[in-house]
Amino acid sequence: MTNTLKNRWVDLIVLGLSVFLIFCFLFESYIALPRLISWFGRLHPIILHFPIVLLLMAIFLGLTGKKVPQLLLTIAVISALITAISGFFLGSEVPAKGDLLFWHQWLGGGVALLAALWYALSQMRLNQKRYTKAVQVVLVGLVVATGHYGGMVTHGEEFLALPTKKRQKKIPENSLIYKDIVTRIMDDKCVSCHNPNKRKGELILTDMGGLLKGGESGNALIPGKPEESELIKRLHLPKDHEDHMPPEGKIPLTEDEIAILERWIALGASDTVQLDQLGSEEPLVGMVRKMMASGKTNSWAKLPKVADSTLQNLASDYITINRISSNSQALSISVFLPPNYEPNHITDLKRISNNIIQLDLSGIPIGEQEMDLVAQCKNLEWLELDKTPITDTELNKLTGLDQLSMLKVYGTGITDQSISILKNLKGLKSLYVWETQISDAGFSKLKESSPQLQLNHGIDQELKASFIEKDSLLF
Amino acid sequence: MEEHKNNLEENKSKDENPLKVNRRHFFSQLSVGIGSLALGSLLIPDLFKGSAGTLAAQPLGIPHFAPKAKRIIYLFQAGGPSQLESFDYKPTLHKRMGEDLPDSVRAGQRLTGMTSGQDSFPLMPSAVKFRQHGESQKWISDFFPHIAKIADEITVVRSMQTEAINHDPAITFFQTGSQISGRPSMGSWLSYGLGNENKNLPSFVVLTSRGKGNSQGLYSKLWSSGFLDSKHQGVLLRSGKDPVLYLNDPDGLSRSDKRHLLDHVSSLNKIHHVETGDDEIESRIAQYEMAYRMQMSVPDVMDISKEPESIIKLYGEDCQVPGTYAANALQARRLAENGVRFIQLYHQGWDQHGNLPNEMAGQAKDVDQASAALVMDLKQRGMLEDTLVVWGGEFGRTNYCQGHFNPESYGRDHHPRAFSIWMAGGGIKPGLTYGKTDEFGYNVIENPVHINDFHATLMYAMGLDHEQLTYKHQGRRFRLTDVAGNVVKDLLI
Repeated sequence: MTNTLKNRWVDLIVLGLSVFLIFCFLFESYIALPRLISWFGRLHPIILHFPIVLLLMAIFLGLTGKKVPQLLLTIAVISALITAISGFFLGSEVPAKGDLLFWHQWLGGGVALLAALWYALSQMRLNQKRYTKAVQVVLVGLVVATGHYGGMVTHGEEFLALPTKKRQKKIPENSLIYKDIVTRIMDDKCVSCHNPNKRKGELILTDMGGLLKGGESGNALIPGKPEESELIKRLHLPKDHEDHMPPEGKIPLTEDEIAILERWIALGASDTVQLDQLGSEEPLVGMVRKMMASGKTNSWAKLPKVADSTLQNLASDYITINRISSNSQALSISVFLPPNYEPNHITDLKRISNNIIQLDLSGIPIGEQEMDLVAQCKNLEWLELDKTPITDTELNKLTGLDQLSMLKVYGTGITDQSISILKNLKGLKSLYVWETQISDAGFSKLKESSPQLQLNHGIDQELKASFIEKDSLLF
Repeated sequence: MEEHKNNLEENKSKDENPLKVNRRHFFSQLSVGIGSLALGSLLIPDLFKGSAGTLAAQPLGIPHFAPKAKRIIYLFQAGGPSQLESFDYKPTLHKRMGEDLPDSVRAGQRLTGMTSGQDSFPLMPSAVKFRQHGESQKWISDFFPHIAKIADEITVVRSMQTEAINHDPAITFFQTGSQISGRPSMGSWLSYGLGNENKNLPSFVVLTSRGKGNSQGLYSKLWSSGFLDSKHQGVLLRSGKDPVLYLNDPDGLSRSDKRHLLDHVSSLNKIHHVETGDDEIESRIAQYEMAYRMQMSVPDVMDISKEPESIIKLYGEDCQVPGTYAANALQARRLAENGVRFIQLYHQGWDQHGNLPNEMAGQAKDVDQASAALVMDLKQRGMLEDTLVVWGGEFGRTNYCQGHFNPESYGRDHHPRAFSIWMAGGGIKPGLTYGKTDEFGYNVIENPVHINDFHATLMYAMGLDHEQLTYKHQGRRFRLTDVAGNVVKDLLI
């Protein structure tokens, strides 16, 4: 008597939890959880170990033809349901679900409900082996898949991937095309098979000698003739062609990488030529610069994480904060002049100073306080200070911003004293500096010390004059 | 079921109507939910991907990858300026002047009703001289002496192609990616994808001007947001005292009264929103707020009185006359500085079916100096690094003469197969001349750029993947490029 009553209670619990779980899934986008309940979700990482072990244990017994103890099954099923529900609560704290979490959630829900089905089958005394065994087999698969996705959610997608090579080093400014660029591409994409230990197709691509010697199919490259070089030919074959390199399953070269190799061979495949020796017209220069620039974008990957909510709190009608690209931690900030400006509008950005890559303060009446904030933005690459009341004292704060590549300071009060500061900004590539107190002598000094710098001091006078004196149509 | 009811009630007591559900939402969500639960469907990924919830989860307001351009200034030359008198130099037309256009070249191209009845199609050379300019040795006609001076800043695409042969479908195609009206405009797509840079101004602004040449109508559908949220619609700024109609408060209404009024209206609207869950209500609230802020920001942006003499002279004295192209060009720079994402200028009057040499000279004079000045002005401000300028019309013009064969007063009909535009800044390689037409200037023989490709390229420069920026409407996902378009990588830095 007591036994059946107890069983009924258990049945009801299993049924209730299952219905509740289905409800959660159905109305997922409408449910707003109270705090205490969503805190219960935090228990998910602890509870989840029970159903994994207990279910697998029960399935093992079942599949090996032994009787599955009812108590074991009951605990396993209830723990699976509770795990799924707590996982659902935990998941609802995440604003946007990625693919991993998405799959983990639905697979986990599947595990719990299928386990409940198993329980129901066993309660109905439907111990026909076919149904139950089928359920058990599917369950094993689902448990493994759920665990796998869950693991990736917590440990990162790469946790289970095979260890990869260490991060590549930066390409030096005046790079040796062969050593710094070609070898880099080969190491990345070719050398895992074509090295002295493996020598696939008798080809070794680890040094210049091997490249010139070629392999089974003859010359790998013919200097000056990319279209006849086996290396290039094979890169261009259709992806499903048997001889396409790298073979199926390996990461193919990007179009840019192929173009670089091709152009390098066309130029004679020299192992001594340096970037600066090539003329600015040479397309290879552009390709290499692009590759170097993309290395730069990767440096954003190391920026500290910043939450969307932080950005929302700091942004206002007059301060726009955008991620430079989606999911990137690099920020671009534009400030527009509010009716009642206070310095703390800008100094409040201190919390995210390391993430600021682009900052537009054009036309804002900034002073030393705001410039102190700018000085803290160590990763700043793009800074607009034009039409602000800054002088040499404020500009001095830029010392040490090594990443800065674009600076607008036109329409400010800076003088020749700032030349030394500007000179020391090593990363600077373009500078807009007209309508300041800087003298012509100052400009030429700056030009001399930083020949790479694109120095813009307003529209060319001659050109401007030709616009201002009325042109008549020439025909 | 008991469980359901209890939960529903429980939730209701906590929040007024947390489900925000009406009958239609309820059924669509319910069916999706049950369908998704089917265990077998776990194996079919697309079944979930298609569910209604995913659209909201799409990350908007941020680009797909780091952009080169943050904004676009599009100098649209409405009517179809002739490429043969501007950027596509064809000496063969001089040699074979008056000869009939060979059928092998025309290759069945459909013609408009304006010339399809002509007995012959005599080739007509340019009445204006061409010269090479700049280090890039670009061929530019003498109609554009100022643009010629910035030849190394601009990239001319001589291989543009469209499908339409009449103004309305052609311009609609250029602006919305479809010849048939109703789709969102380019500016609206960008606003939808990237959001506002400055929250006090609309992200998409339109300025119009009119030359003395033969002009065609402009309709507000060209800057409509189509099926996108109406807050992405282009805002037409008028010349003169009221740039935006009805933006100013009536006499006797103070700014704080206005604030009170808006707060009350907004609270009423919010109640309505909770009841119906209609997103367009939120959009309306946002528009009221935007208008309130624009009352402050627009007069400030539109006021060019603080521009120095040298800038006025650079754009030409015309820029002090509101409503001229020059004034709009200067305005465009000011709007760009203030964070407007897409600034669309239209200059009407480029439809030279007759009297082309005279009319086009006038049209060119309207836009030449101001367009070049805009590029130079942007350059000195460092804005060419993140602002993309585009100059061009909806199609080109025929290489044969329309109407009476007279080298001084000839006309040219519409020509969709090849025409020229130019671009500058914002991630576009400077100084290129891209694409090539045959010796008659009739067909593209190298690197064609279809309008879809052009759209894809512009979006790429803005950090958007044209295949990813979609909006689901009437059961399918729409994009600006619909089902076509390739990014022209050669044009990009």
